[in-house]
Amino acid sequence: MASPFVEALAAHATETLARLPGAGLAWLDAARREQLEAFVRDGLPGARNEAWKYTALRALERRAFLAGDADAASRAVDIEALRLPGVDGPRLVFVHGVFRADLSSLDALPEGLSLRPLSQALVEDAEPLRFFLSRGGEASADAFARLNAAFATDGMVLCVAPGAQIDAPVHLLQVGVPADDDLAWHARHIVELGEGASLTLVEHHAGVGAHRHLGTQVSDVVLHARSKLAWIGLQECADEALLIRRDRLRLDADAQLRLHALELGGGLARRELDAELRGEGARLDTRGAFVPRGRQHLDTRLDIRHVAKNTASDALWRGVADQRGRGVFHGAITVAEGADGTDAALSNKNLLLSPHAEIDTQPVLEIYADEVMAAHGATVGQLDERSLFYLRSRGIPVDAARALLTQAFCRAALDDLDHEALREYLGQRLVARLPGSGTDA
Amino acid sequence: MTAERSDNVATLRENNPEVVEALSRRYGAGFITDIETDSLPAGLNEDIIRALSALKEEPEWMTEWRLEAYRHWLTMPMPDWAKLKLSPIDFQAISYYAAPKNRPKSLDEVDPKLLETYDKLGVPLHERARLAGVAVDAVFDSVSVGTTFRKELAEAGVIFCSMSEAIKEHPELVREYLGTVVPTGDNYFAALNSAVFSDGSFVFIPKGVRCPMELSTYFRINAGHTGQFERTLIIAEDEAYVSYLEGCTAPMRDENQLHAAVVELVALEKASIKYSTVQNWYPGDENGVGGIYNFVTKRGDCRGDDSKISWTQVETGSAITWKYPSCVLRGDRSVGEFYSVALTHHHQQADTGTKMIHVGKGTRSKIVSKGISAGKSSNAYRGLVKIEKGAEGARNYTQCDSLLIGKTCGAHTFPYMEVKNPTAIVEHEATTSKISDDQLFYCRSRGLDEENAVSMIVDGFCKQVFRELPMEFAVEAKKLLEVSLEGAVG
Repeated sequence: MASPFVEALAAHATETLARLPGAGLAWLDAARREQLEAFVRDGLPGARNEAWKYTALRALERRAFLAGDADAASRAVDIEALRLPGVDGPRLVFVHGVFRADLSSLDALPEGLSLRPLSQALVEDAEPLRFFLSRGGEASADAFARLNAAFATDGMVLCVAPGAQIDAPVHLLQVGVPADDDLAWHARHIVELGEGASLTLVEHHAGVGAHRHLGTQVSDVVLHARSKLAWIGLQECADEALLIRRDRLRLDADAQLRLHALELGGGLARRELDAELRGEGARLDTRGAFVPRGRQHLDTRLDIRHVAKNTASDALWRGVADQRGRGVFHGAITVAEGADGTDAALSNKNLLLSPHAEIDTQPVLEIYADEVMAAHGATVGQLDERSLFYLRSRGIPVDAARALLTQAFCRAALDDLDHEALREYLGQRLVARLPGSGTDA
Repeated sequence: MTAERSDNVATLRENNPEVVEALSRRYGAGFITDIETDSLPAGLNEDIIRALSALKEEPEWMTEWRLEAYRHWLTMPMPDWAKLKLSPIDFQAISYYAAPKNRPKSLDEVDPKLLETYDKLGVPLHERARLAGVAVDAVFDSVSVGTTFRKELAEAGVIFCSMSEAIKEHPELVREYLGTVVPTGDNYFAALNSAVFSDGSFVFIPKGVRCPMELSTYFRINAGHTGQFERTLIIAEDEAYVSYLEGCTAPMRDENQLHAAVVELVALEKASIKYSTVQNWYPGDENGVGGIYNFVTKRGDCRGDDSKISWTQVETGSAITWKYPSCVLRGDRSVGEFYSVALTHHHQQADTGTKMIHVGKGTRSKIVSKGISAGKSSNAYRGLVKIEKGAEGARNYTQCDSLLIGKTCGAHTFPYMEVKNPTAIVEHEATTSKISDDQLFYCRSRGLDEENAVSMIVDGFCKQVFRELPMEFAVEAKKLLEVSLEGAVG
């Protein structure tokens, strides 16, 4: 018996598939159908699935979502309210996974930058996308990756030409707004940086008004040799929305990727980051904070694989769980046989602020090479009593002292963000979610 | 390592008879004792379990308990979550009972061949026992062949005997505690053990008694095509203390033999149990042929307030080790400790660690795990620290270090932390590294050869755990590591 979740999404699948961009391309149709069949066959990951141990999907299984939003193109969105300080370059806006040319800003793209919605890229020249879109049958694929591969309506295709240095940050904005039904939308992004290219990308999820939509997003990010990507993520979905994301990163020789991520919104939000450092000298730095409160469940899952020699990764993630919030963190580092000279570090520190909140953290090391430096650490606890005492001895009231220390604890994830205006803004957004900021209920 | 350096090591070996001798040293406990045994035919079904129970002259409730466990086992799938590669186990090909034919009435009647066996292993069963001052229960294949110092212990009120005797002589104690820490259906191997366990040790320390000497059990698998399924139960009443040691060996055989034990510890108010293991089952040869499959469930229950359970283990043997000695910290302010050294070489695989379940207020736990992998082996730490809602002010500290020797081995760390109380503090740290060239160079510049340098560095790496072992065991553990690591460098 298929669950209501699967049944609702698979209903009218043939019509839905026929309406998708690129329908009629034999390879794409075949790939979509194959993924749909796998989704219907296996359903959602069960309770015994280790990758979903701490994120139960039983409640989701009983819910039905309407596949796609027919009115997405006409829904009102106040774009000015969603601008980010210091980010006025090219902008791509999707509402419920549907591209909105009227809200986007794609004029006068800098030289070397190609930025289009997937729907357009499929019409103009689908062949370069074939590698990404016909894949998806990988061993770790689950219901959400399959749903996405079968039904993704649109997404961003971003390419930077070899050697091009793009200064203005690209703003990828995805918005959810209230609707009559609980909707399911799916976005598929592809980012490719040519040799020696560099780019700043701001991935922004915003929820305007209360709603309970389900969004899935799959991104492929390919960094060719010596390219550099600064990636800033701000996830502020509606507090009851569901967002399941999977980022697949591939770093070639001497490529560098720095991610700064804030996970603030969503009733259930999960981010999976699969990174493969497959060229010698590649480097991946990830920093992030997740701040569940209310009944939020925020799940972050890093899977960092060092395949080539002399690669480095450094991960620093902070979690603060308040009220009935639940923070889940999984950070796995794998060093493959032959990946000598790997330098890998991962740290996840968490604060638990309420007797009803929960933190589950699992740092993992899998090492198959011996010329390696690998370390991880994880803690769950409270604010340092001595620091608190110090602040109080300086005349700062206890609540203010707690708030200050909690803010400092989280902001460590933003400390080395170079973009000053964004660093300030993200810091404010983060602080606004923390207790003592005056905005929490 | 550079080619030149390997050449040097090779020359060193050729010219140095001691090195050659050391390298040819193998698993020292791998001999077989030629002794007549009684055994049940291979296979597993309700009749075999009834026959086993009858052979041991067990009461009806015990037979029923076994059958219930067996029926539950039939419904369970073999666990596959551990990081282990193993060929399927044919549970019908194993004989579930093997015992030396001449059952001794007392230690004086023990077959001299058996005594010789334990002598070769360095286990003091007779006169030497008195000098060593350790009470020993020796388990040979499926049965206990002798327990020393019984009189002295009885005077202190301590019961130390084989499980079979305990079922006959202290049924009320066995019934009260057996299966209360590890229920029959706890996991696949615990269920199997509950159905077919043949013997093991039983320890009862009454209220307020500090056990006057170290207690020890020595397990030996001898017969071929058998498995060993022992069950140990240790109960420390209020304010009691006991230190218990466990050692194990097996002959070298080409087949994989199964060892599935269950150990249950119960600590009541202010009681303290210290449980030390040196596990040296036959690990298989350098090509991964043979060796013991070691699937063990060990769990301690800190039932009383202010109780303490401490596990120390040195795991150098077995082809496969699957073992997670755990503590359920139920009593307020109870303490759990886990100190472990796990060494794998050649094709050995270990997936071991601990679980600390904090239930009571102010409970504390400490985990120190040292993994050493060499050859083509795989060594994983898997641990869970769980802080329940009511565990006000609970505290855990975990440290996991892995040392890699060679390019073809694996070292893994899978810690789980689940925290539901905001006053708890949980910390986990792990590192993985190899023996650095600097350290080696330093030692060699002081005139140590490479083998000795490695063994010294490894010894230092493990010191924190060895410190927790009783003295005799610490010496044995250190020697074991040296022997197990031979041929790992160069």
